[in-house]
Amino acid sequence: MGKKYRLAITKGEEIRYVSHLDYMRAVERAVRRSKLPAAYSEGFNPHMKLAFASALSVGVASEAEYLDIELTAEVDPAAVGGALARELPPGIAVRGVRTMGAGRAALMAVVNLATYRIAVPLPAAALDAAEAAIAAFNAAPAAPYVKESPKGRREIDVKNFVHSIAAARRPGGLELTLAVRITPAGSVKPAEVLAMLVKYFGLSADPDAALVTRTGLFVADGSGRVAPLDL
Amino acid sequence: MTKLPPAVLSRVAKPARYTGQEWGSVTKDHDKVDATFALAFPDVYEVGMSHLGLKILYHVVNRRPDAAAERVYAPWPDMEAELRREGIPLHTLESFRPVAAFDIVGFTLQYELSYTNILNMLDLAGIPLKSADRGEEAPLVIAGGPCAFNAEPLADFIDFFVLGESEEALDDVAAAVAAWKKAGKPGGRRGLLARAAGIGGVYVPAFYEARYNADGTLAGVTATDPAAPPAITKRIVADLEQAPYPTRPVVPFLEVVHDRIMLELFRGCTRGCRFCQAGVLYRPVRERRPETLLRLAQELVDNTGYNEISLTSLSSADYSCLKDVVGRLIDQFQGQGVSVSLPSLRIDSFSIELAQEVQKVRKSGLTFAPEAGTQRLRDVINKGVTEQDLEEAVGAAFRAGWSGVKLYFMIGLPTETDDDIRGIAALAHRVRDIYREVTGKRGARVAVSVSSFVPKPHTPFQWYGQNSMDELERKQQLLRTLFRDRSVTFSWHDARVSFLEAVFARGDRRLGEVLLAAWRRGAKFDGWSEYFKFDVWQEAFRETGVDPLFYAARERGAAEILPWDHLSAGVDKSFLRREYEQALAAAPTPDCRRGDCRACGVCQGLGVDIIDWGTP
Repeated sequence: MGKKYRLAITKGEEIRYVSHLDYMRAVERAVRRSKLPAAYSEGFNPHMKLAFASALSVGVASEAEYLDIELTAEVDPAAVGGALARELPPGIAVRGVRTMGAGRAALMAVVNLATYRIAVPLPAAALDAAEAAIAAFNAAPAAPYVKESPKGRREIDVKNFVHSIAAARRPGGLELTLAVRITPAGSVKPAEVLAMLVKYFGLSADPDAALVTRTGLFVADGSGRVAPLDL
Repeated sequence: MTKLPPAVLSRVAKPARYTGQEWGSVTKDHDKVDATFALAFPDVYEVGMSHLGLKILYHVVNRRPDAAAERVYAPWPDMEAELRREGIPLHTLESFRPVAAFDIVGFTLQYELSYTNILNMLDLAGIPLKSADRGEEAPLVIAGGPCAFNAEPLADFIDFFVLGESEEALDDVAAAVAAWKKAGKPGGRRGLLARAAGIGGVYVPAFYEARYNADGTLAGVTATDPAAPPAITKRIVADLEQAPYPTRPVVPFLEVVHDRIMLELFRGCTRGCRFCQAGVLYRPVRERRPETLLRLAQELVDNTGYNEISLTSLSSADYSCLKDVVGRLIDQFQGQGVSVSLPSLRIDSFSIELAQEVQKVRKSGLTFAPEAGTQRLRDVINKGVTEQDLEEAVGAAFRAGWSGVKLYFMIGLPTETDDDIRGIAALAHRVRDIYREVTGKRGARVAVSVSSFVPKPHTPFQWYGQNSMDELERKQQLLRTLFRDRSVTFSWHDARVSFLEAVFARGDRRLGEVLLAAWRRGAKFDGWSEYFKFDVWQEAFRETGVDPLFYAARERGAAEILPWDHLSAGVDKSFLRREYEQALAAAPTPDCRRGDCRACGVCQGLGVDIIDWGTP
């Protein structure tokens, strides 16, 4: 039985437009370059035992990504972080490493809240109206939105996932911060939240020009939030 | 430095094509180097990033302290539209500098139907398309790769071509640019071109004049400048052991076409297939030593983190120590989660044994290329493979557990009759039957892929008139009627594409205006079926008064001066002609690599030797 480690890493500006699959592959290659004794699955087509917490969309950066990795030998956590950091491409930094006891639940299964910061470019004249749009969303009892994906159309209530959005004025526009619930029944993407604000709450902004950054992933319950590294 | 706005990147497909920052990319301070190169591949990122040649040249330039090489690929049409709308010039992936700010813009010419992308990229870069229109400040636009061996269709647009293997030549070019700049750019742009013309393998088309006979054939391409040699011979690396190899290649984020380590076993192939241009251009065979390959493989694994090593060469199964090297690679790497793959197989049971070794688990399908359907026609093209070889090879494959094979053929080969076409179907059905004989079951999957033959310069078939599009389509139709079995799938190439390839493969300078006209009418990414617009090309030929059949369909006379006669791959034209005559007589010519010299002229002419570690 190998030793499990949990790492907090980033997806920086440099690689904002890299897809989640490509991001995972980049980390996997870095692990291989690092010569850390990565564990592989048994079977005909062995793959590295590496698990990520939650997928990020293309165009979304992150200050808080998490992955669990299994090694075949015990390595000092600081050495794991150091060895990997040397081999990671620009845009991926190691923010923390800890060992994981046996029997811990998979990251994917426990993370249920993601926080985001969205920089929305807006002319100064449009700020009042934009703030009013956010306030209208916050005050609305429900916020229906039709998710469209290759799998089909599905109507959701954004309010089931996002309780409220905070808006702050920044040079060049508005900075939104929000927490999004990740539930067994699904979640909503920040880009979808923006599209909804534009479509139904009169936010006059170009969602394509907004920059979304994930600021945290958490396990939340009634009493508070815990980051995966503190579990 | 350009900056792509987030809105632009959000709107295009696969934005990581344009954002760089890959592991292994090299960014240098341009103020601290004397020569800057933008290495350009005239196709989309995923294709360009798969090309070993450009990886080598990126390394060759960047290992020089006085030079910097960066990469640029053809933006996909969605991104092109964004760049044009936003007024953002074409730029490189490392420093995001405009391509027009580099000393040299170097294109690799792998495929005739990428030529419009070259014009499009120059236009996006704001560089005048024609060499004659470029001012002192414009970069020198250079090109190399197999298509440079008939440079003439691009003569108006390229300042100079580099023929042959460029490891050493590009070093010479970098040194010449650096020396010229340090000396205060004596003679200006023309002065630099004159210096370049003195480098072996360099062809400066502006220093030559093309004259034509009354019947439209070429009267000659002759030097008009004292700096220009009468003929240009390819560069060649005599010993690959001494050649630089990129063991720290750029590792893309995006999944590219060949997303794995490429380990080049050897260069050259002298099997002598008479349709094959690479077999002539890269002569003679020069192998790397097994020890060198193992060392390079380890460095590549250490530096890239890739989990697959592909053994690449023109015909990898011909590497003299292949079994030994494959075994040692597997021993060395299976504990590191790294697999080995063989991209090309010979049609024999030796290849099957090796395929078994490298594909112990995943039987992902095998590809064989009999090329022609009958023994007679295989003799014509000098494909030294018999039906019995194929039967043995597929029998061994089916016994080893494979159930699917892919078979490659060509139609439109010299002397071909409908019997040869029927032979393709017969051979495919024979393969299907062998599956049943070997396994006692139905359910073989035989995929037959048939391309249309495009005669290429510097081959024994360079004189041959290509089958008309109607004739090729008739043969495709005939094949369709012959494949009625569900276990055999049949795919074929668009005859119009093969026709256009044939026009440009053997074209001359007069095609420059056609290229320009087609590009102005929107031709680009012609090699991609979703962008191939044949009507645009027909209009371009009409507008310029150029008859494409003159280039594609016409059988050339033995004495005719060909547009590439002044560009030499080291192989004598008389040898190629002899081979054409042997072909028409269906007479085979053996491989020369183990001693039976057929006097093609390359070893003697270039002062190089065959390097084969299996020679006793």
